[in-house]
Amino acid sequence: MSDALVIEAVRKTITVDCLVEEAFRVFTTDAISWWPIDSHSIHGDEVTEIVFEEREGGEVYEVTADGRRGHWASVLAWEPPNRLVLAWNILEREAFATEVEVRFAAEEGGTRVDLEHRGWESVAEDRVGKRGSYDTGWDHVLGRYEGRIGR
Amino acid sequence: MSTNEHPLDALGDPTRRRVFELLQGGSRSVGELASELPVSRPAVSQHLRVLELAGLVTHRRQGTRNLYEVDRSGVAELRNWVDGFWNEALARFKAAAERKGEES
Repeated sequence: MSDALVIEAVRKTITVDCLVEEAFRVFTTDAISWWPIDSHSIHGDEVTEIVFEEREGGEVYEVTADGRRGHWASVLAWEPPNRLVLAWNILEREAFATEVEVRFAAEEGGTRVDLEHRGWESVAEDRVGKRGSYDTGWDHVLGRYEGRIGR
Repeated sequence: MSTNEHPLDALGDPTRRRVFELLQGGSRSVGELASELPVSRPAVSQHLRVLELAGLVTHRRQGTRNLYEVDRSGVAELRNWVDGFWNEALARFKAAAERKGEES
């Protein structure tokens, strides 16, 4: 019976050998230095910039050399340098609305980074009740994966 | 799980994404889906077949008709794919952050 299946959040923890402020900065402002844009962006290798609007309600979007934009996510929480929450619609569809929370904390050896990608339960369920609350506030946006991924 | 289609590939088609969204709102028959979409019943059936192969949709018989609904195992597979993605992305992030940390 498929209803019995619980879909747990994706949780990752890593330690990075740098200051908390630097880790937060590289994760957000300098995302272009590490994000795999070739395979995980709307415009692929044409992307030259990834912008995090640094406020709650801001957007995360990619920009190409000739100025085309592709929206990735909405900022639900912006608490530099310790916490960040994004509303991220996989495949650019509200049907695949998920949340990504990233926490940065100083620890011996550098910065501990905890990432949680959650909301899979609601992808599998009736979203009618949820849709209203998601629609208020800001427009939703959107990471997209290219079709070839996962083959 | 042996599926012929990856969920992300199956969802690459806008009509299939729409079919999936409609099923998130509850189970439906082919006829009900066709009445809510600008495509024919045979086309809906074809899309459902692809979604089923990807594990995203399942069906059960009710009387003389089939009722289609979201299959959570396909959503779980999507989640597992994202899990693998973050392993790769965070490894890249760690390398970048440590490189920048050294430069500054």
